[in-house]
Amino acid sequence: MFKKFDEKDSISGVQQLKSSVQKGIRSKLLELYPHLESYIDQIIPKKDSFRIVKCHDHIEIMVNSAGELLFFHQREGPWMPTLKLLHKYPFFLPIQQVDKGAIRFVLSGANIMCPGLTSPGAQMTAAAKGTVVAVMAEGKQHALAVGMTSLSTDDIAKINKGVGVENCHYLNDGLWQMKAVK
Amino acid sequence: MSGPKADFVYPLRVQYCGNCSLPIEYCEYYPEYEKCKHWLERNLPTEFEKVKLEDAAADSGGGEDEKKRQKRGGKGMLKTKKKEDVPKLVTVSRAPRGKKKSVTVVTGLSTFDIDLKVAAKFFGSKFACGSSVTGDDEIVIQGDVKDDLYDVIPEKWPQIDEDSIDDLGDQKR
Repeated sequence: MFKKFDEKDSISGVQQLKSSVQKGIRSKLLELYPHLESYIDQIIPKKDSFRIVKCHDHIEIMVNSAGELLFFHQREGPWMPTLKLLHKYPFFLPIQQVDKGAIRFVLSGANIMCPGLTSPGAQMTAAAKGTVVAVMAEGKQHALAVGMTSLSTDDIAKINKGVGVENCHYLNDGLWQMKAVK
Repeated sequence: MSGPKADFVYPLRVQYCGNCSLPIEYCEYYPEYEKCKHWLERNLPTEFEKVKLEDAAADSGGGEDEKKRQKRGGKGMLKTKKKEDVPKLVTVSRAPRGKKKSVTVVTGLSTFDIDLKVAAKFFGSKFACGSSVTGDDEIVIQGDVKDDLYDVIPEKWPQIDEDSIDDLGDQKR
């Protein structure tokens, strides 16, 4: 999603978020990520005013008043956290761990293939199709990508072929390199 | 993961590498790993020791490990993003404005990663005059303040040396 993303070209506008919309996003986030409940006031304080950065390909990024990038989504898709945020609060997404050999491919933007999730070094937590997941790596502490499952974890184990998790945002992609928005 | 762990205080603070901006444990997948190592050695010596130990361990116990793992083909290597090596240089010049007034044109500030909008605002308030971003990397300050800029710029942005400010003299508009 952000492979060819460039801060200069891809942003078409920044908008102040209406408080009603903000509330809507907040409740959606809580619905998606119930674990976030006790920390949502830290991440999205009620009083803070947020902005939305509109980008090409119908991507929208939510930014807090300090300009930090928090969540993004494409079209009407689910809100996904940026990796910087996920590193701070790594608990609210289900984790899929890939084996060591897959890391470099994921870091260059490849989708996560099923064999990388089923081999000895990998681990899966059960998730349905279309869940937002954090992609971790064998022997590493921090997430290296945020993705969406394109098969349920049962199917991944059963079929063991093709794309298992779609790579939406990975380390060192355009979104990662994007600086705080003024 | 199932919710926040009790023994951690969130938000966690993740140490990022200053060279490649990745968390330190992923530095090894960056094409310029050597540079990252240098950065680590200089800035976070304790972390560097850890990385060194891990490297040594990987070297000795690597043989057996290799066999077990499934090898993957393809070109999964990251490419280094070519940074265009624009010489870091700020140029200042004076351009006439009307018969007896002049403006100062400053270019090259963005080669130092300075936000032009902020810089223009700063010049405006510093010299009590109009100042605006007029091009890709150009600020026009209304009034002849060229001589002052040699003191003001290095003071405001210490990364700019006075020697790297170039004087182009008078220019036509």
